Amino acid sequence: MNTPDTTSKERTDMSTAGGPSPERPQAAPQAPTPRAATGKAGHAVNLKDLNAYYGSQHAIKDVTIDFPPNEVTALIGPSGSGKSTVVRCINRMHEEIPGARATGSVKLDELDVYAPGVDVTAVRRLIGMVFQKPNPFPTMSIFDNVAAGLRLTGTKSKDLKDLVHRSLQAVGLWEEVKDRLNSPGIGLSGGQQQRLCIARTVAIEPEVILMDEPASALDPISTLKIEELIDELKESYTIVIVTHNMQQAARVANSTVFMLEGEVIEHDETNKIFTNPSDERTERYVTGKFG
Amino acid sequence: MHETRHQFHESLRALEAQALDGLDLVIQQLDRSLESLSYQDVELAGMVVADDDRIDGRYLEVHQGILSLLARQAPVAGDLRIVAALLHVIRCVERMGDQCVNIAKLVPLSGYETPKDKDILDSIERMGRLARSQVSQAKQAFAGRNVELAQDLVRQDTEINRLNREIFRRAVEIGDNLDLREWAMFMILVARCLERVGDNTVDIAEQTVFVVTGLFREFADASNPPETARAP
Amino acid sequence: MSSITASTLPQITTRRRVTDKVMRGSLLAGTLLALVPLVLILFYLVKRGLSGWSQSGFFTSDPTGSFFGNPGGIRSAIVGSIEMVLLASLIAIPVGIGVALYLTEYGKQSWFANTVRYFVDVMTGVPSIMFGLFIYIVLVTAHVGGGFTAWKGSIALALLMIPIVVRSAEVVLLLVPSSLREAALALGAPRWRVIGKVVLPTAAPGLVTGSLLSVARGMGETAPLLFTVTAAFGLTFNLGTLMNSLPVQIYTDIQSPREEIVNRAWGAGLTLVLIVLLLNIIARFIASRSRRA
Repeated sequence: MNTPDTTSKERTDMSTAGGPSPERPQAAPQAPTPRAATGKAGHAVNLKDLNAYYGSQHAIKDVTIDFPPNEVTALIGPSGSGKSTVVRCINRMHEEIPGARATGSVKLDELDVYAPGVDVTAVRRLIGMVFQKPNPFPTMSIFDNVAAGLRLTGTKSKDLKDLVHRSLQAVGLWEEVKDRLNSPGIGLSGGQQQRLCIARTVAIEPEVILMDEPASALDPISTLKIEELIDELKESYTIVIVTHNMQQAARVANSTVFMLEGEVIEHDETNKIFTNPSDERTERYVTGKFG
Repeated sequence: MHETRHQFHESLRALEAQALDGLDLVIQQLDRSLESLSYQDVELAGMVVADDDRIDGRYLEVHQGILSLLARQAPVAGDLRIVAALLHVIRCVERMGDQCVNIAKLVPLSGYETPKDKDILDSIERMGRLARSQVSQAKQAFAGRNVELAQDLVRQDTEINRLNREIFRRAVEIGDNLDLREWAMFMILVARCLERVGDNTVDIAEQTVFVVTGLFREFADASNPPETARAP
Repeated sequence: MSSITASTLPQITTRRRVTDKVMRGSLLAGTLLALVPLVLILFYLVKRGLSGWSQSGFFTSDPTGSFFGNPGGIRSAIVGSIEMVLLASLIAIPVGIGVALYLTEYGKQSWFANTVRYFVDVMTGVPSIMFGLFIYIVLVTAHVGGGFTAWKGSIALALLMIPIVVRSAEVVLLLVPSSLREAALALGAPRWRVIGKVVLPTAAPGLVTGSLLSVARGMGETAPLLFTVTAAFGLTFNLGTLMNSLPVQIYTDIQSPREEIVNRAWGAGLTLVLIVLLLNIIARFIASRSRRA
């Protein structure tokens, strides 16, 4: 083995890459990915001073987060930190729970989602959601499941078959199911069912996709396939993913938000959160000292 | 759809390419430092010193990339060995860069138009060529995960070590000549730098074997005398 | 008490063995005791009923026979029962499912929904004669659209059936996983579409089962019909008039001095039991098929 150099050498002091201010992360410093063939521009979601309540319980407190367009942002934190509540406030699913309400501003590009008189169903057509447990409609076939979004919203589609084909291809399910489009949706494996649910969401062509622990009910290989899918989907959609699996956030997200007891503790590039977090509570959480 | 963990494998490949291309930078620096030495080109020597910043920058980039990969992707098994090996490799690159700088720094000191000893000059030249080929072979061996090629580096390195001892002996021999003495001592330092470069390539070879076999075996150092050269 | 030796585990004591056998025996005896009356009823019913069935023209003629001649069969009773219960179902099932949908999808745990639930539960326990009396006072004595008519009987039956439908439908609708409703809502569907295209199709087998059971109940009720439609003998399809029905037919016939008429009553009883049994079997079949799916 080498003995140390006798000649000392000055190192130029170069700060490590990354490390923007905790408030607003910069876009990922990669070559810009080409936009999808649909030519969609990216859509940003901005939360400002969001508060949500379950009856008298104050679940999320003054949450301000900017979700950059065409990026994956992960929300991590221990149980009860409010991450699922935040996401459900974005597409106004939160208010479906009796006694739940929210105050503050949620903006999709410049449109206020909570403006008075806004049609909630229109909001949800722009902001899609994928849930933890795959929930294909049991009485419908695979084809009908993918088309369900359009049929349930009364949207007329000129070429339904083509749309279903493209949606299934986008989630990597087409080859596996193209010969049995009329068989029941619940006949698929867990991982396939979840991809079917994602296809169902993608078919209504939303601008943002919210995912509430999309892979936590799946086996490891299916989980990796879903993560790969998320990586591809971000070219066309802005994605927000809630996960209690930190490693998943580390693998999949461009930026990560750490929440604790209803508040945002730190929001930064994923790289920074997992190599050199600014807040001590973030450090303790990601190193597994609590939570 | 891509295969799973597509981004991770892409990142790993890119990181390895970044680290191994550092070896190309080293070869460049080696060539120029030796050229500046043989032509007493102080300007060229200055460029070598300045350009070491590029190697240092490469070191920091790869280091940060490795940290990021470890934190975010949790590589295991073969992937983990590659990442750990790259950490060693990039340190070797940085060190070899430093050795080239050391050689370049000796250029203005060794004086102009000084009398020189032909034997020593030949040996230095031979060492330089060997060092260069070793760096190149180290890169090839690691990139190709070629264990035989890696082990062959030990054989070449024994030659460099022999030349180093040769130069030292010769310098002692001509030490009585006051004109040559100072110059000869500088040449000893140059030889030591080149010998260090050779040792670093052997380190890279050891890492190559580690990546492939999972076993770490020291090829040759002061405590383990090198085995006699074997036909590859 | 056997002590634990180094090589064997403790054995069951004799006392425990005896206690076990005694308990088993007495539970078995109790079960058999409870089954005895049921078996006797069925046996007697089948025996007397078959003798009723064997009478000429049992299924093909109406009980309009002369006092001394052939008393006739129960055709009009069967037709009448089916017609009246059909009308009752057409009222009770949609109303019942509608109330259940309100309770599960809209009202949920509000005080109003809880009050409705409470009263529905109370109504399942109300004696069926009360429904008959209610319709008697409100519709019959007030001479709304005539005196005693079949459709009023249907309404009385419907009132009886609605609570049953509501209760079973609510259970089934609550079994539809809320994750399905969430998925549909998250796609941007308005609530009525969520109900129509997701909740109802998923709950359909259970709803059918519950409805069939309420129909079976409706077929067998006598008291409501006595006060609203009384007895009739001729075959008629007009719900605006008096109509015969199986329970009322049995009620009238069993009091007759003539043996053939009494036999006819038993035959009608067996027929009624078999219809109810058939409806139950169909309901179970649908339920088990949907469970397997």
